[in-house]
Amino acid sequence: MNNFSFLRGGRAFCFLFLMGALLSFSPIQANNSIRQSLTTTQQFKVQGIVTDGSNSLAGVSISIKGKSITATTDFSGHYTISASPQDILIFSYIGYKIETISVQGRSTININLQENATKLQEIKINAGYYSVKNSERTGSISRITSKDIETQPVSNVLATMQGRMAGVSVTQTTGVPGGGFDIKIRGQNSIRSEGNAPLYIIDGVPYASDPIGYNQTASTFPTVTSPINSINPAMIESIEILKDADATAIYGSKGANGVVLITTKKGKAGKTAITVKATTGVGTVTKFMKLMDTQQYLAMRRKAFANDGITTYPPYAYDVNGTWDQNRYTDWQKEFLGGTSQINDFQGTLSGGSDKTQFLLSSTYHTESTVFPGDFIYKKGGAQFNMNHRSEDNKFKFSFSMGYNIQDNDQPAFDLTPSARYLAPNAPAVYDADGNLNWANGTWQNPLRYLSAIFKSKTNDLVSNAVLSYELFPHLVLKSNFGFTDLRHTETRTAPSTIYNPAYHLTSAYSSLYVNNTERQSWIVEPQINWEKELEMGKIGLLFGGTFQNQNTTRLYQFANGFTSNSLIYDLASASTVRVLYSDNALYKYQAFFGRINYNWSDRYFLNLTGRRDGSSRFGPGKQFANFGAIGMAWLFSKERFLKESSWLSFGKLRGSYGTTGNDQIGDYQFLNTYTSSGVLYDSNVGLQPSRLFNPDFGWEINKKLEAALEIGFFEDRLFLTAAWYQNHSSNQLVGVPLAGTTGFQTLQANLDATVENIGWEFTLRTVNFRSQNFNWTTNLNLTIARNKLLRFPNLEASPYKEQYRIGEPLNIKLLYQYTGINPQIGVYQFADTNTDGVISFPEDKQTVANLNPQYFGGLQNQLTYQHWKLDFLFQFVKQQNYNYSIGFAGQMSNQPVRLIDSWQQPGDNAIGQIYTTGYNGAAVTANSRYVQSTGGITDASFIRLKNIALSYDIPLNVKNTRCQLILQSQNLLTFTKYQDGDPEFISSGYLPPLKTITAGMQLTF
Amino acid sequence: MRNFILMLPLASVIFCMASCDSFVEVDLPKSQLTNEAVFDSYATAEAALTDIYAKIRDQGLLTGTPSGLSNELANYTDELTCYGSPDDPALVFYFNALLPANTSIADYWNTSYNQIYAANAVIEGVEESSKLSVDEKDQLKGEALFIRALIHFYLTNLYGDIPYITDTNYQKNNVAKKVTVAEVYAFVISDLNSSLNLLSQNYDNPERIRPNRMVAKALLARVYLYNGSWAEASNSASAVLNASNLYSLENNIDEVFLKGSKETIWQLQSATAGKNTDEASSFIFFDGPPPSVALTDNLMNSFSATDLRKSHWTGTISVGSSTWYHPFKYKEFDYTATSVEYSIVFRLAEQYLIRAEARAQQGDLIGAKEDLNKIRERAGLNPTTAGTKQQILNAILQERRWELFTEYGHRFFDLKRFGQIDAVLSPVKTGWNTTDKLFPLPQNELSINPNLRPQNSGY
Repeated sequence: MNNFSFLRGGRAFCFLFLMGALLSFSPIQANNSIRQSLTTTQQFKVQGIVTDGSNSLAGVSISIKGKSITATTDFSGHYTISASPQDILIFSYIGYKIETISVQGRSTININLQENATKLQEIKINAGYYSVKNSERTGSISRITSKDIETQPVSNVLATMQGRMAGVSVTQTTGVPGGGFDIKIRGQNSIRSEGNAPLYIIDGVPYASDPIGYNQTASTFPTVTSPINSINPAMIESIEILKDADATAIYGSKGANGVVLITTKKGKAGKTAITVKATTGVGTVTKFMKLMDTQQYLAMRRKAFANDGITTYPPYAYDVNGTWDQNRYTDWQKEFLGGTSQINDFQGTLSGGSDKTQFLLSSTYHTESTVFPGDFIYKKGGAQFNMNHRSEDNKFKFSFSMGYNIQDNDQPAFDLTPSARYLAPNAPAVYDADGNLNWANGTWQNPLRYLSAIFKSKTNDLVSNAVLSYELFPHLVLKSNFGFTDLRHTETRTAPSTIYNPAYHLTSAYSSLYVNNTERQSWIVEPQINWEKELEMGKIGLLFGGTFQNQNTTRLYQFANGFTSNSLIYDLASASTVRVLYSDNALYKYQAFFGRINYNWSDRYFLNLTGRRDGSSRFGPGKQFANFGAIGMAWLFSKERFLKESSWLSFGKLRGSYGTTGNDQIGDYQFLNTYTSSGVLYDSNVGLQPSRLFNPDFGWEINKKLEAALEIGFFEDRLFLTAAWYQNHSSNQLVGVPLAGTTGFQTLQANLDATVENIGWEFTLRTVNFRSQNFNWTTNLNLTIARNKLLRFPNLEASPYKEQYRIGEPLNIKLLYQYTGINPQIGVYQFADTNTDGVISFPEDKQTVANLNPQYFGGLQNQLTYQHWKLDFLFQFVKQQNYNYSIGFAGQMSNQPVRLIDSWQQPGDNAIGQIYTTGYNGAAVTANSRYVQSTGGITDASFIRLKNIALSYDIPLNVKNTRCQLILQSQNLLTFTKYQDGDPEFISSGYLPPLKTITAGMQLTF
Repeated sequence: MRNFILMLPLASVIFCMASCDSFVEVDLPKSQLTNEAVFDSYATAEAALTDIYAKIRDQGLLTGTPSGLSNELANYTDELTCYGSPDDPALVFYFNALLPANTSIADYWNTSYNQIYAANAVIEGVEESSKLSVDEKDQLKGEALFIRALIHFYLTNLYGDIPYITDTNYQKNNVAKKVTVAEVYAFVISDLNSSLNLLSQNYDNPERIRPNRMVAKALLARVYLYNGSWAEASNSASAVLNASNLYSLENNIDEVFLKGSKETIWQLQSATAGKNTDEASSFIFFDGPPPSVALTDNLMNSFSATDLRKSHWTGTISVGSSTWYHPFKYKEFDYTATSVEYSIVFRLAEQYLIRAEARAQQGDLIGAKEDLNKIRERAGLNPTTAGTKQQILNAILQERRWELFTEYGHRFFDLKRFGQIDAVLSPVKTGWNTTDKLFPLPQNELSINPNLRPQNSGY
């Protein structure tokens, strides 16, 4: 079968399922789920609202004892049921205790249901291709739901997970909206830093997380733009993270780094309900660095010149030679980063439907302005539609979901954080008396020139899926999942001539523009057969399926310059030169077959076998296919006879798993020996350049995962503890092996025979501290203690990684000089001469290992409800070390941390900082460059952060079907840390720290 | 409806079973060509070659942007004063404070060897090609050999002992061993002689943007001069100087650096039509204090008052009582309707000075003075008064400073060659150390390839 006809086949399928969707709309009968029995003389209507104490509960079933009359609550928790005065109503809802209430002639009965910890074990957990009852689960899956997400005023889905899930480490890399997050599920498996992304799946459709940005356009961010920003947290019902082999092996070659399953909100039966939520708030920088003021700074500079023996200040030393006002002081951090970001958010949802057909339509709009000076804004809007239908006989089921999100980001092209830190505190005013950019006769590069260099990005993202299933015979279900994604991203960065010193007399002929157009479309078809059979002594389940995925990414990077006017800078036609820097169309095809055999013996012993055969177009001929599989087992020992009647033990399970997964995150076409267009013209030829060094023989990275866990609950699960131990081994490492520059390139794609181990303990503890009708208090604690280790690396000593890794140490280490203090005689930083050869040299003396991975991390969450009040707060804690912020050697024309006022002055001194120099003291310059790469440059960057606090109040209204909630939320409100150089949460330093935000809002349901 | 519904999942299951492994095979991406295909046609093979010139123009040693040698070595020696902000990469050159971890040092190294790789890929591709004609092969290979020699020549003068890379085998080149400077010179001379035989006498493009045989000769003359092979240097320079149908000194000093200059032996075409040189935008400024660099007082004061090069090749900016000077050889700062200046890598004046020096070294003092005076005369100066061999050599060094300032680091290499670098730079450069004659080898390279050790002394 050739590819062309397959594509056509794919299109035909899309058409077919759209037709299916249309057809299924027509026969819907407007059956109301609230079924009313025939009226008798005694029958009357009882109505009310069911809540969990603060939020309304939709889908609660209400029945009447001894009768067949039932009802369910709608989206706003409202129900109506016909009853007689003597009837007893039974309210049941999964995860909650059953309540029975006698009507006693009342027509309105509002009720709070109590969460039943034990029943949480009855919840079905999404495991991707199948779902499993929590108690019967053999794999390791963490979960957060919309309840946890809604309390957080954040716009990135990864932010919602911070501190909430064991084994999941999330770090924000910049506070600029639209920037990225770094996520690691159970540590770094691949030696390639870019090969550690988990697999994202939204409603069954793989969502490629490969960057869509371009470093020349997305210059504001430490990492290029990620598509993950497009996922809208407000649309999410739950996020499940699959961690061990049992859960991930069914994703085969994509499962090595864990799987993030995102389930969007679905329509619920009941009265058509409308929910609107509006919040507004402010964001400010969490923490500034403590820098010198003008007096301290000028004292440092003068001393530096004196130390260097220079008595006449050179003409370019504007700060000390009198050119700049020496009495001026500006706190540049306050000036450039001290603004207040305005955050507004609006959400609206319409939901309802009948027993057979439900729908949901939701839309959101979110804006965030900037803390930088200027009118920069990030806007995000989206819509989500979902429809579910099942046939009268319940055999045919159909579900369709579609999410569309638009982001529009407008930011300065460069982060002002480095300028705010290094600029001399007596540098001139940024604007002159007329409000124009002040260039102070060309004596400085005014950092605000970057405000006219603009980064803009616009992302349109569509994710849609349809699931059709049909129960062919009893217990045999045929199912097919169809998915389609379409992402369109445009990013530009301008460099108008106005960013240059007017002394250059540059006209718009020197203005330039970078444009990045990236588009990515993908489709997936996943047919499946599912069979389940109750046996005499248990239950068996079989699943078999296939995956066909096709992803097409088009990238076009262009550069234009020489504009006729700066106002036409976005118009490529007005440029005198337009160059295509990169034009590429990458096709990624992926095929797999997967299966699962699950056996449940007496509801006590569980066996789960999963497997997958994968093929990927990212590998050369003969290397495309591989097999993956896992075995998982669980023993529900609390159901054994000897423990069944225990008064204190309410739940007990031992589970374990072992299996293999893979990793194909290597980029497309890397196995080909090719030339690529360079886009540069010379002698009327558009240049061709060698694409890479040629190596066709690389294959999958293999990840072997082993896990053992204990889940145990006491006193009706009021105390519930999970302890998991895991060990992952990643081998056959697929890396860009660093090469010597003499090869012509810096890297070569190849499999390296090395093994990386991730080993760790994960604990979660949930306690219900207090439970009553009016007051509830629960606590959740999660703690991860993880260790990453390079286990095996043949010939590391002779390999290019010699100065990067150490066997037995984590990947994320730095090899450093051992700082030993300041030389009391000449005042420069000193280092241990570890090989005692009399000189400090690289690499011999740069061998002290510093581990930059967190030693442990976690979160402590408390939820309190009192009548109509609800308080939820989360402390996130991370134990780690990281680099101090370095601004070069002290004494040059740049500001320094205030701690460096304590510098070496004269022989015999002992100080924090070494002798000041303006650059003429070669020994000091060298010593400082070593200091930055020494143990002295590393410090404790641990922190405890009040990550999230949310307070809500449900206004008691006596209006039928209506709820009104007032909300106060804050993210990153308090941070406790010993780290001195700004906020301790960063990957690359010199970028805007995460913001502290406070928002207030109101949610109305009617 | 029921049947239709049933059909869908069933059909997709059957469909999937039917499809085969070929699903995961992909065609070549549209923007890439296989290596063999590139050398199947002259147009694409030529594009692979000319891309190297574009890279030489835009990155690495010979670019006219501030990161190239013209700016950085002028800062390193006594030609330019750096006024840049603390993050200006030129500052460490100006302070002679290079460290092994310096990124400019690593960039020079990596981009140079990438250009050498591209040249070797062309040589290998051409040799294996069955579709190209002999003439086409000769032209491409001749140019690629020239590029390989040129880049290695600069590298050895900056870093000392270096690996000489002649193929694309990364396994071998990843552990390449250093060879001595003398051996590098032998390889360079051998490559240039091969190149000479392959290249034609005439320019492929009349704009002189692709090397012909004379360009290889001009480099050879310089290589022999640096090598102390005086007779060969003199002969090679003569070969270029005698090609009077192609070259002659421009009498009008303002026309030396124009695109159509008769003095040009090889120049790099600007990136786009209408663009002029990167040198002009790197050096020229309009207001004081200088945003980045200005000519040193030391250089400005050394010119004779009547030297036309002072009045025509430097620009003066005065603000209040302060005055600064910038290089003004290339004058076109902005875009023009069509480009009027290209970056000139080899020009005839240097060949006169090469022959003057080689002649002086061989005792032909009259011939030496004759060549030297050609350059002085054009600059509006009287014939040299130097008499002895040493006086003449000193006069040549002085003349080279005036003639070739801020051009590809000539001053640095000249001072080294004359053994005067410490004597000249120590008094005017506080940070100068005698070991600064060589750049440090990039720290990263030393750790990847232990064969590059030891580090150059002083680092």
